[in-house]
Amino acid sequence: MKTIKCVLLLVIAFCFILSSQAFGGEKALLFHAGLGQRGALNEVKAVFEKENPEIKVNFSYKGSGYFIADITRSRQGDLFMPGEEFYLMQAVERGFLTNYNPKTDIPAYFVTVIITPAGNPKNIKCIEDFAKPGVRVGLGNPKSCAIGIWHQKTFGKAGIWDKVKANATLSAKCIPELGNATQHRAIDGTIVWATTAVLYLRDVEIIPIEQQYRGIIRLPVGVLKFARYKEEAQQLMDYILSDEGRAIFHKHAYAINPVIPVDKNGFCLDGTTDKDMEYLVNAAKAVKDESFPVNKDTVGDLIEEVERQKKTVRAGD
Amino acid sequence: MDLISRGRWWPVLCVGTAVTILAIYILLVASNWIYLGWHDTVYFFSKSRMWARFWLTVWTSTVSTFFSLFIGIPAGYALSRFKFPCRHFIASVIDLPIVVSPAVVGAFLFGITTRFPFDWISEYYGIYIGRNVYGVLLVQFTVTAAFCARLMKASFDIIPARFESVSRSLGASPMRTFFKVVLPMAKNGIIASMIVVWARAAAEWEGLMLFVGATEGKTDIMPFAIYLDWNGGMMGWVTSMSIVCILMAVSAISAMRMIGGRSNVW
Repeated sequence: MKTIKCVLLLVIAFCFILSSQAFGGEKALLFHAGLGQRGALNEVKAVFEKENPEIKVNFSYKGSGYFIADITRSRQGDLFMPGEEFYLMQAVERGFLTNYNPKTDIPAYFVTVIITPAGNPKNIKCIEDFAKPGVRVGLGNPKSCAIGIWHQKTFGKAGIWDKVKANATLSAKCIPELGNATQHRAIDGTIVWATTAVLYLRDVEIIPIEQQYRGIIRLPVGVLKFARYKEEAQQLMDYILSDEGRAIFHKHAYAINPVIPVDKNGFCLDGTTDKDMEYLVNAAKAVKDESFPVNKDTVGDLIEEVERQKKTVRAGD
Repeated sequence: MDLISRGRWWPVLCVGTAVTILAIYILLVASNWIYLGWHDTVYFFSKSRMWARFWLTVWTSTVSTFFSLFIGIPAGYALSRFKFPCRHFIASVIDLPIVVSPAVVGAFLFGITTRFPFDWISEYYGIYIGRNVYGVLLVQFTVTAAFCARLMKASFDIIPARFESVSRSLGASPMRTFFKVVLPMAKNGIIASMIVVWARAAAEWEGLMLFVGATEGKTDIMPFAIYLDWNGGMMGWVTSMSIVCILMAVSAISAMRMIGGRSNVW
């Protein structure tokens, strides 16, 4: 009985210590962010907290589809950065975000690329190859992830949507599912964002898409209406939109050119992103091949990502 | 032939099935460990990130298990011994969090934490309730408290009520009877249940995903970190953390077997 009493006392004391930590009075921002942005945003957090020691950043990483329910229900949060503008517009429509400016509030862009398992077993070189019989294609479900909409748009533009749909063997609910399926050779090819492709450098081949089919997807950020620390949230948002902040995103294969000419459907009009694509292809080569030179000229800002994945056979950090 | 004719094939078949199941699970772990490779195993197991997550998981589930026991032991005792109005109704309501998905529990927690007095507390102290490690504890507690009461009821059910009658007839108060007679007799069952509850809390992530979200190193307990890393394509972390989780589970269950071997809760 004595031991039980001791344990109880210890637990109670522990709770007190914990609660005193919680109400320490630092300003903690709550940042709703898409899972895909985790790598880049953790880096942003590290730099930002160093520069502003009185502000802490807490993330609520989720799949983009979960956010509207969360925000509607909890009415909590300072910043919002979902995986596509579509989800942010949902928040704007519901009045959670009042000062969103589509012209200035885009720190980075996703670019679509083709990925295949290492060695490219079905020899996929361009969009049209997805229509060949016997190719197992992974598609995203347009109801639950943005990449699904882009699959439909891209193959639709090439006029092969029906054939590709007949080839589909996987309907993914989120974009990492496509990356993992390719990594484990469950599908022969798919289209994903460059930021997803860069996570699997050792296990996939990356093939840039020709300009007319290359999609550019806007990645917005905004301060929520019921933000508790509006000024601090704005400060973090300004940092993300600054050149320094954008450079962090570039290290994770986001495109950060201030202007990328696109047509009304979001497809590329010129070669602004060509250089980034070259770096990405080289990065995939560099991780697989030890003799490939890794420097600023070959892989650009992806150098840290390449080094991270070269360290171990199975990626970690 | 001799063996079969004597009807010995039946125990052999049963043992064979058990061995097959074991072989499948060992194969599952071994194949993943081979996939990870020795070099990566050493690399990931020596990283501080792994053990930070491990301790986070261990202490959050321990604290929430203690809170569950505070509720679970008296509640389980009441359900097992006393007759009171709506007893069956209360018993069924307590079973609910076991039946419904933890994701629903996570979503429903918003209902409490955004209302009085919690909105007031959150405003006054300038914190977001549930977006920190307390949210993790709250989710774990909500999911396991009912589970705990259920297991405790089973532990108390197997103790004959006669001992209590004797103790009461000798003049001990109900409380004294509980602490001096019932609790020591139910010890094995309680410890066994406690470990099951602990393991359940350590495996919780669906509720966390909906209610808490993840801040690196603060709220991402192991199962949640595995999910996040799976989304980040970090197969090294996914595989090595899964192996640690499996080892944790195996040791918890073996401990339960050793301590509560004679109780028939599980």
